[in-house]
Amino acid sequence: MTTAQGGTSAAVEARQLVKRYGVVTAVDGVSFLATRGEIFGFLGANGAGKTTTLRMLCGLLRPTSGMALIDGIDIQADPLAAKARLGYLDEEPFVHPHLTGREFLNFVADLYRMPRGQQREQRMARLLSLFDLAQKDGELIGGYSHGMRQKIGLASLLIREPSVLLLDEPTNGLDPRSARLVKDLLEELAARGTTVLLSTHILEVAQALCRRIAIIDRGHIVAIGTMDELRVQAGSEAANLEDLFLKLTAGPESREMIERLLES
Amino acid sequence: MAGPGALQVIVTSELLAFRNRALKRNPARLAAIGIILLFGAVVIGGGTFTVGATAGHFLTFAVDPLLAAAFTGLSLLMLVIGFPTVIASFFVGRDLLQLVVAPVRGRDIFVARLAIATSANLLISGILVAGVLGVGAGAGAPPVYYVLAALLIALQIVVMTCLQVILMTLILRWVPARLARDVAAGVAGLTGAALYVGWNLSLRQTFGRRGQADISNLTSLAQHIDWLPTAWPGHALTAAIEGSPAAAVVWTLATVMLAVLLMATAELLYERTLLSGLGTFGGAAMVWRRRSERPVTPSRATGAGSPTIAIARKDWLGFRRDVRRLTRLLPALLLPLGYAAALSQPSRSLSGFWSNVALVTFLSMFMSSALASPSVPSERRGFQLLRMAPLTMWQLLRAKVFIALPPVVATMLVFSIAVAMTGKSGVPQSLELIVFGLWLAVGFVSISVSGGAIDPRFDVTDDRKAVGLVGTLAAIGGSLAFAVFSVGALAGFTFGAEAATGTANLGPIPSTPATGAMMILGGVLLIVAGVVLTAVLLWIANARLNSFEATIAST
Repeated sequence: MTTAQGGTSAAVEARQLVKRYGVVTAVDGVSFLATRGEIFGFLGANGAGKTTTLRMLCGLLRPTSGMALIDGIDIQADPLAAKARLGYLDEEPFVHPHLTGREFLNFVADLYRMPRGQQREQRMARLLSLFDLAQKDGELIGGYSHGMRQKIGLASLLIREPSVLLLDEPTNGLDPRSARLVKDLLEELAARGTTVLLSTHILEVAQALCRRIAIIDRGHIVAIGTMDELRVQAGSEAANLEDLFLKLTAGPESREMIERLLES
Repeated sequence: MAGPGALQVIVTSELLAFRNRALKRNPARLAAIGIILLFGAVVIGGGTFTVGATAGHFLTFAVDPLLAAAFTGLSLLMLVIGFPTVIASFFVGRDLLQLVVAPVRGRDIFVARLAIATSANLLISGILVAGVLGVGAGAGAPPVYYVLAALLIALQIVVMTCLQVILMTLILRWVPARLARDVAAGVAGLTGAALYVGWNLSLRQTFGRRGQADISNLTSLAQHIDWLPTAWPGHALTAAIEGSPAAAVVWTLATVMLAVLLMATAELLYERTLLSGLGTFGGAAMVWRRRSERPVTPSRATGAGSPTIAIARKDWLGFRRDVRRLTRLLPALLLPLGYAAALSQPSRSLSGFWSNVALVTFLSMFMSSALASPSVPSERRGFQLLRMAPLTMWQLLRAKVFIALPPVVATMLVFSIAVAMTGKSGVPQSLELIVFGLWLAVGFVSISVSGGAIDPRFDVTDDRKAVGLVGTLAAIGGSLAFAVFSVGALAGFTFGAEAATGTANLGPIPSTPATGAMMILGGVLLIVAGVVLTAVLLWIANARLNSFEATIAST
């Protein structure tokens, strides 16, 4: 199945993505695809290559080889068209400390050439209210807490309704209420057709939200599929995501390590 | 067996960090820096040594004022230039938090940081070393002079570093901690700019019509600073040259006591203010807190948003609110004001159109370098936001030129008009100067923006370090070449027009219409060369930004 642009119907597709820094290979032949309206989980240990993969998908990094497709558009071949369709939230959001929350949202909206006027203002007011930032919209972002920055970062994505969201630890630093809000929001967005690629360390969030999950370890995808498919791949019928993750990423048993440490 | 002392641990870890930073650098870049430093040492150090030796040999009566002025001048330079390093060493860095929570005495932290903080002042004092050695060699000083010189220069570095710590701790006590660094930077910047303008004005006076012999000007200036503690090492060294050991010992002891007193005071004050300073300087850039909540007025603008205007507006708002950047711009703004004030006094006015052209060129280059060079790197992590947005890097470069151009053009206009009026130039020459100023402003701003974009350091929070070596060389080299092309073109047009009418005095070259036409053609070619140079640099900048990912990978 192909789109008008000649690509597949997948909303996000990584095709044999490789990223090398000198002799170090950060990502080595990663391939997966997320379909429209899907919340796709992307899990991995620290330094496994998650953020590098996401940054290649959103066009921040140029792959050494392979392709990153957004709505069937190669982001390296037609970056402007692909970027107009996606929103990327880094684990430490890119915000301007010297702008107020409202000014920042307007700045992002202008960058994406969104029409100005009442409709934009209304949407901005709704988002600020949704993220509990309405009272702070006149304050400079430099004075925001980490959680508030995360929320204004999310609001800056949602103000322009991208069809694909790439989120790196979106609930990082959020209080439980805000984290819950984000989870509900992602489910609602997915139900309306937005594709969400979610990178997280919080396995409960991934298990609860994601229809399919990819696990990356040392630059390679070691498992991909639904929870049931992951269980089959790991050979553990009744395991939860945490057990599967630990088994698939083959780390040494923590209990064993603790015992050795205490013995020494 | 007890482990190493806290002081040793801290200093060793700092040295290791320095070694690792050096090893991480590109070897080619390291070699380039080494060559530039060596070249600078030979040219600047050798030049200063020669000047010192000449003065020591031929101006024996002026050795004391010269040494006093050298120590005082370099001390002021250390005070201004070394301030950021001192602030960074004593109050910035999350590693300081680690030291504070560890069982380490405040005194150990102070001494360890003092050793690190002297690095910038040590580098600056290289010029002093060369000059003092030159004076000694010229005056035929005994060997003890050189030993004393090494000791006194080292003491002077400690004195100035401790003075900076004391100043910073006092500012921390009086100024809200979150603004202290900016206040300090502002004070240092204004002092530096005032010193520079003052020095320049005194030079202009020296060479002016009312001027006296240079050395008598200098000695009379030095006599006024005789009593300053910064001049004491100079007196000690003069006594050593003149063979007065008692006087040398007295001045040296006075300097040692001053150093001990300042060190003790600095240590005491530092221990008391360390905690209030911590966490203040290590965080994000300083931001003025808004005095009151302003009611948010919804925008009435309609139509699609424009990325170029959005970036320019964001920069303008950020610039207005970033105290740190604002304080660093003050010296750049003070220079044109100082020059304009100096030129408004007829007795000091430089005569001649070409002197004004040179001044306009220098100031335009200076303003562009201060304002436009860091404009792309100052995006910092926000650059990633721009990379992800559906806009081209051309648009970003355009926006940066768009925001940096108005202040440079405005300053140039004011300056050109002031110069033209005080110089009583005719209307055509005034217009020429204004058009020339505008041309230079556009060229220099575009080149400076390109330089910043060619080698941006988005991870650096200090605008002065935000452009790497390659970018700095591109901006300076490009600007110098553009200045040569532009002044050459102006000369071609001016003298060409005069030659065409047969009124030019071109020495052995005949003043004919054919010569005039040739010169005008040369001017046109130089204009084209200037345009091509600017376009090439912008093109390289665009290509570099499109492929840039070094910092992205590390953030």
